[in-house]
Amino acid sequence: MSEEDSDYGDCSDDEMDDDDDDDVYGDYYKHEEVEMENKKDDPEYFEFQLLKVEDVDRLLNENVEALSRAINVTPSLAKVLLHSHKWSVQDVIDLHKKDSLKLLVDSRVLPSVKCTERVLSRNFICSVCMQPSLADALCGVSCGHRFCRECWQMHFQVQIQNGVSTELECMGKDCNVLMPEDFVLSIVTNPRLRDKYQEYGFQDHVKSHPELRFCPGPNCPVVIRAPVDKAKRVVCDQCKTCFCFHCGLEYHAPTGCETIKRWLTKCADDSETANYISAHTKDCPKCNVCIEKNGGCNHMQCAKCKHDFCWMCLGDWKNHGSEYYECSRYKENPNIANESAHAQAREALKKYLFYFERWENHAKSLKLEEQAMKKIRARIEEKVMDSSGTWIDWQYLLDSAMLLKKCRYTLQYTYPYAYYLEKGSRKELFEYQQATLEAEVENLSWKVERAEITDRGVRVG
Amino acid sequence: MSGGLPRRIIKETQRLQAEPVPGIVAIPDDSNARYFHVDVAGPKESPYEGGVFKLELFLPEEYPMSAPKVRFMTKIYHPNIDKLGRICLDILKDKWSPALQIRTVLLSIQALLSAPNPDDPLANDVAEQWKVNEAQAIEIAKQWTKRYAPSQPMPS
Ligand SMILES: [Zn+2]
Ligand SMILES: [Zn+2]
Ligand SMILES: [Zn+2]
Ligand SMILES: [Zn+2]
Ligand SMILES: [Zn+2]
Ligand SMILES: [Zn+2]
Repeated sequence: MSEEDSDYGDCSDDEMDDDDDDDVYGDYYKHEEVEMENKKDDPEYFEFQLLKVEDVDRLLNENVEALSRAINVTPSLAKVLLHSHKWSVQDVIDLHKKDSLKLLVDSRVLPSVKCTERVLSRNFICSVCMQPSLADALCGVSCGHRFCRECWQMHFQVQIQNGVSTELECMGKDCNVLMPEDFVLSIVTNPRLRDKYQEYGFQDHVKSHPELRFCPGPNCPVVIRAPVDKAKRVVCDQCKTCFCFHCGLEYHAPTGCETIKRWLTKCADDSETANYISAHTKDCPKCNVCIEKNGGCNHMQCAKCKHDFCWMCLGDWKNHGSEYYECSRYKENPNIANESAHAQAREALKKYLFYFERWENHAKSLKLEEQAMKKIRARIEEKVMDSSGTWIDWQYLLDSAMLLKKCRYTLQYTYPYAYYLEKGSRKELFEYQQATLEAEVENLSWKVERAEITDRGVRVG
Repeated sequence: MSGGLPRRIIKETQRLQAEPVPGIVAIPDDSNARYFHVDVAGPKESPYEGGVFKLELFLPEEYPMSAPKVRFMTKIYHPNIDKLGRICLDILKDKWSPALQIRTVLLSIQALLSAPNPDDPLANDVAEQWKVNEAQAIEIAKQWTKRYAPSQPMPS
């Protein structure tokens, strides 16, 4: 996908189409123009590219060479300067014009004034190992600190083994001058150590580059490049990980990066309290028969008495999906400020569990609906082979299932957002829209499940 | 001393003997020149005053590229020193530099006894106590000093 510098930004479509490995019909009747228009309409549209390590190397080297030519420094120093200035060639050139000495000191290429006073070790003795040495056997960089090659070599080895590369400093007392790459590589001869040094350097450079992100997928080598650093959805086409470009966590709109971090930490901390919720079975609120939930839809129908109810709140489904849909809304105790500390703590836990339960339940539904999607695919193939309808006839079902997945995902992430929202009209409006989305999602889920597959709500016990 | 001992360690050891740090005695072990027996006198006007604390100091193979390993052997009530005697000191970790020496490390440990830093704790319960009720924490530190680090005439 990355041979050319073309537009790879079809992220939302990637997610919609590449869901299964055996999707040979994925591009069957796509129209490029329609696709383009959809992108502009999609508020979640985000432009990004997927890069290989070689692509990133090339990109960084182009910057290094441009800067090195522009201000006449070695490529190694240009790298140090770019790394400490978010890889903006223009910023470095501007700062260089304004005050080149300040730029070099600030970037730790040159020592600060204090440091320059300690020049050359006297008597040609390396002050680290205290071995007498020939004058030209001692070496070092701009700060004037001179040590023997063996000491430098050992210093670099120890540091690189600790994962340090771009932050490699001089050994001099209170000297924070950074070691440029050419100097390090002139000292380090062990090929494994050299590789490690360059690998860690590469990681540091990607991390300091505002347009680049490592794909957070396990062992995935892909680097994502986006022109703007926003909390937008990125999907890696190699490992299928879907994540937020800004923070690298799982994609989390409408919740913000800080909020989702808080929420996930809270969930991890409180996991034991919340464990009891993870039940797969509940009793029918009307006839009390035990019902196992094996579909994603939260609109349940008791197989025995045909009562329609909501899995979350066990309320009558008839009251759901209307203006009065209250299932997603937590009703706070209006008098809580006057209650005891104990009651307040209990209320806080109740509130958290309310949101956590819904968050968790939608995550589960998402998984169940994903399984259902596989069944739908198999079923459609069967139907097509059977000549009951053509592949195209059945496409609507797949499209619906994928739309459902996308909506359910967003719905799940509305709960952390709502949990941290201050009480007030903003929260009311948000919860109204959340309730509407929730009603429609369950509606769609119900229809998708019923369209072909009717064996849900299996009775057990 | 063995022929394999780096010149740097030999020089540092000689200097530690010739010009010892006031209040600190560091003697290399008879059988291992990289291992030092250290006595640190509790600094004046600190809760550790009047006590003598035993430490062990070991120079690893990579010294001076890696920091010395230092540990309190005497029990001490201090927010930056844990039950096992491990010390929370930046120059013993990421702030180590080959330009630093055994002498610098010992001086820093002495300074840490004069100025405990409960905001960067290693012993969390002690740090907590230090923040909640400093007067009481200092009192405990004094008692521990009396009990576990009774002063003996310092060999010099
Ligand atoms: Zn040397
Ligand atoms: Zn230096
Ligand atoms: Zn990936
Ligand atoms: Zn984010
Ligand atoms: Zn029933
Ligand atoms: Zn409900």
